[in-house]
Amino acid sequence: MSNDAKENKVTLGNLIALGFAIVFFSGLLKSNEWWGLFDFTTLNGAFGRIGDLGSFRGSGGGGARDGFIFAFTLVPTVMFAMAMIEVLEHFGALDAARKLLSYVLRPVLGVPGESALALIASLQSTDAGSSITRGLLDEGKITKDESDTFTMFQFSGGAMLVNFFSSGAVLFTLTNADGSPAVTASIGLCVAVMFIMKIVGANLMRFGLRFSAKKKGDVVESKAAAARG
Amino acid sequence: MSEAAKKPMITDVFVAGARKGWNIAVSSTIPNVMMAFVIIKGLVITGALGMIGQVFAPVMALVGLPGEAAAVLMGAMMSMGGAVGVAVGLFDSGALTGDHLAILAPAIYLMGSIVQYAGRILGVVGTEAGKIPVMFGICILNAFLAMFIMNILV
Repeated sequence: MSNDAKENKVTLGNLIALGFAIVFFSGLLKSNEWWGLFDFTTLNGAFGRIGDLGSFRGSGGGGARDGFIFAFTLVPTVMFAMAMIEVLEHFGALDAARKLLSYVLRPVLGVPGESALALIASLQSTDAGSSITRGLLDEGKITKDESDTFTMFQFSGGAMLVNFFSSGAVLFTLTNADGSPAVTASIGLCVAVMFIMKIVGANLMRFGLRFSAKKKGDVVESKAAAARG
Repeated sequence: MSEAAKKPMITDVFVAGARKGWNIAVSSTIPNVMMAFVIIKGLVITGALGMIGQVFAPVMALVGLPGEAAAVLMGAMMSMGGAVGVAVGLFDSGALTGDHLAILAPAIYLMGSIVQYAGRILGVVGTEAGKIPVMFGICILNAFLAMFIMNILV
């Protein structure tokens, strides 16, 4: 799989789209004023309440039936989140992220910049990420150790963006009895923590491999020394 | 490629994305959440949930969570959507608060669906068998570190 065809220029528009994506899901502009237009939770809105009885899900249910009705309340959030991601992708938000990432992959993850496409793909689809990574390994663009580090990055929090926005995002629609939002963190904070921890996990693998390689090297050396002595 | 001719309207792009969301919701979210609610029902009527709560209380307390939260993490290893369902079920029953959900949210994904992904990621890349347990361990460690961080932040 060659990625040079995909190496098209990143425009200012792409960067603006990426910036918008970050602000939109960060919760920074959550408000009922006009700037709420730039906030996911604000635009996602709320279900109406039936008199004093609360939302249409009611209370006191349980089991499969309650699970279904609850799951049903998640559908609009999933649809809206996926629609916004599609629009942001259309404006090149992920292209901009790929370009910016290609400069930092070597220091941050110890893998070459050309892995950026696989990294971006892996945030959306585990299958796309892993198959592109396999391609990089087979073509010799990354070493076995680099592929282990990179695989670790993909394995913890696989397809992070799609998975989180298709289920985790709904946690942020839950409300307390008084109607105030229950979850005290923003979507953006959770995404940032996940992304940072994915990098931390990959680096544990990276330095673990380096350490064990060094140890193995020592053993070989000492054996050689013993043989010589 | 003639870009001008193929440029779709932004509304079309939005609708196409919403349709993707609908497909994910119907084929993944709803079945997973429903399964989670059935499992919770089972755990509650057998009293197993209370037991999980007691057994895991000391470990989960390290990250500011009640023992029942362990049920969410166990569910996460099988299915991320299912774990969210378990979390919501426990929130409804009062076992977990909004703060607890905030602590759990990143962790669910960091150790999420790893049973499934062992095949779909590690299998495809061709990771050596010896490294697979290490990778599982790092996922779980990642989740605990994330809960530790979230516990400080919320």
